[in-house]
Amino acid sequence: MGAPVDEFEFFLEKPWSDGLPVVIPTRERVERMLAGTRRDPEEVIGEVPPLLGEATVRSVAVHAVMAGCRPEYLPVVLGGLEAMLVEELNLNGVQATMHGAAPLMIVNGPYAKRIGLHGGGGCFGPGFRANATIGRAIRLILMNLGGGIPRVSSMTVFGLPARYTYCIAENVEESPWEPLSVSRGFSPQEDVITVVMCEGPRLFFDDVSDEPGRLLAGIAESMSSPGSWNMHARTDLAVALGPQHAALCARGGLSRGDVHRRLCELAGRRVGELKRTGNWRRERALAFPIPVDPDDDDCFVPAVKDPADLHLIVAGGWGPISALMHGWSGGSRAVARTYEV
Amino acid sequence: MAEDLGFIDPTAGARREAVPLAPRPEALSGKTVGLLDNTKEQADVILRAVGDALRERHGVRELVIRRKEHYSKPAPQALIEEMASLCDAVVCALGG
Repeated sequence: MGAPVDEFEFFLEKPWSDGLPVVIPTRERVERMLAGTRRDPEEVIGEVPPLLGEATVRSVAVHAVMAGCRPEYLPVVLGGLEAMLVEELNLNGVQATMHGAAPLMIVNGPYAKRIGLHGGGGCFGPGFRANATIGRAIRLILMNLGGGIPRVSSMTVFGLPARYTYCIAENVEESPWEPLSVSRGFSPQEDVITVVMCEGPRLFFDDVSDEPGRLLAGIAESMSSPGSWNMHARTDLAVALGPQHAALCARGGLSRGDVHRRLCELAGRRVGELKRTGNWRRERALAFPIPVDPDDDDCFVPAVKDPADLHLIVAGGWGPISALMHGWSGGSRAVARTYEV
Repeated sequence: MAEDLGFIDPTAGARREAVPLAPRPEALSGKTVGLLDNTKEQADVILRAVGDALRERHGVRELVIRRKEHYSKPAPQALIEEMASLCDAVVCALGG
């Protein structure tokens, strides 16, 4: 008889993990996980690019077990994967890209609250099981069924900490406004996942502004960073206002729509400024979906080329900080859709 | 197999069938060669130079030049099938 096999080491020796130990997906654990959904275990969710491995409810449950999910998280993992397979998101491109973008899941609606998906203080982690494990299950699926293995099919230059997990709720309790899903026409009672391909959160600290104008000017400046793809192609962008910054805007009389509009107007740089930075390229400017004259140094290039590309939420805890997440250039459009609980 | 060890193989469902390489032409003289522009900047410049070299140095008879819709998205099936039917070989170009 050979030496006993340590199952945790066995999984880490295979290319089946994100580098951290996984919960071993025994038949019993997978059956318990499947109790988290009414859906048929053999139902096909779709093919995960670029390897086009077939995801079924059962194979998603296997990965939810591995990631450490509770059974009640399974509907969110299934819904998140379904959203990611919508063609407009271009998951195929992100799986292979040199960039490091990760699919940020913003989950709105009553079910997220019921299972403890966190949108308040520390929401990007660590420390919150639903946030940590739902996003991790997605990543394991992207690797094991989609074949998105770094240095094999993923050409990512740096990777990204957000590629371990990137899943939050909105801090609806402390938001002065309606949630993102409602701003998109869903009802507050609908369970909705919005997926945006973006970089990790960049923190924007401002404990000085006492009115929205200066605060939003600062955030807009941060949104306009050269080398982020927002300045060089049509690209999504997510902004999570901390509840304190959101309250400052609301006290100043601004609605959610007002802040959204103001950030779209303010964020950007002039052609002359961009020409002095590395990633400016005439052909890129000519490919914008809006007219930009590359020969006019005063011409304004907005960071958000179409207002639909800005995803504004309220998240995080009380304190003078917001977070913004630049997007990915590869023709990806965010996807928002309801999911089955 | 993995079942015997008490767990489920998480990669079950992943595609495993091997796709053979298309047969390679031994020479390009008199052949039709496709050039596929992936839309990254200057891919067209690189492909023009490749096309010139293929004609002048290798006697390629005809070039079929096509462009993808977006560099990070797969070429549409119809485009792949068109190039497969017209061309003896296809060169893909990355710009950047």
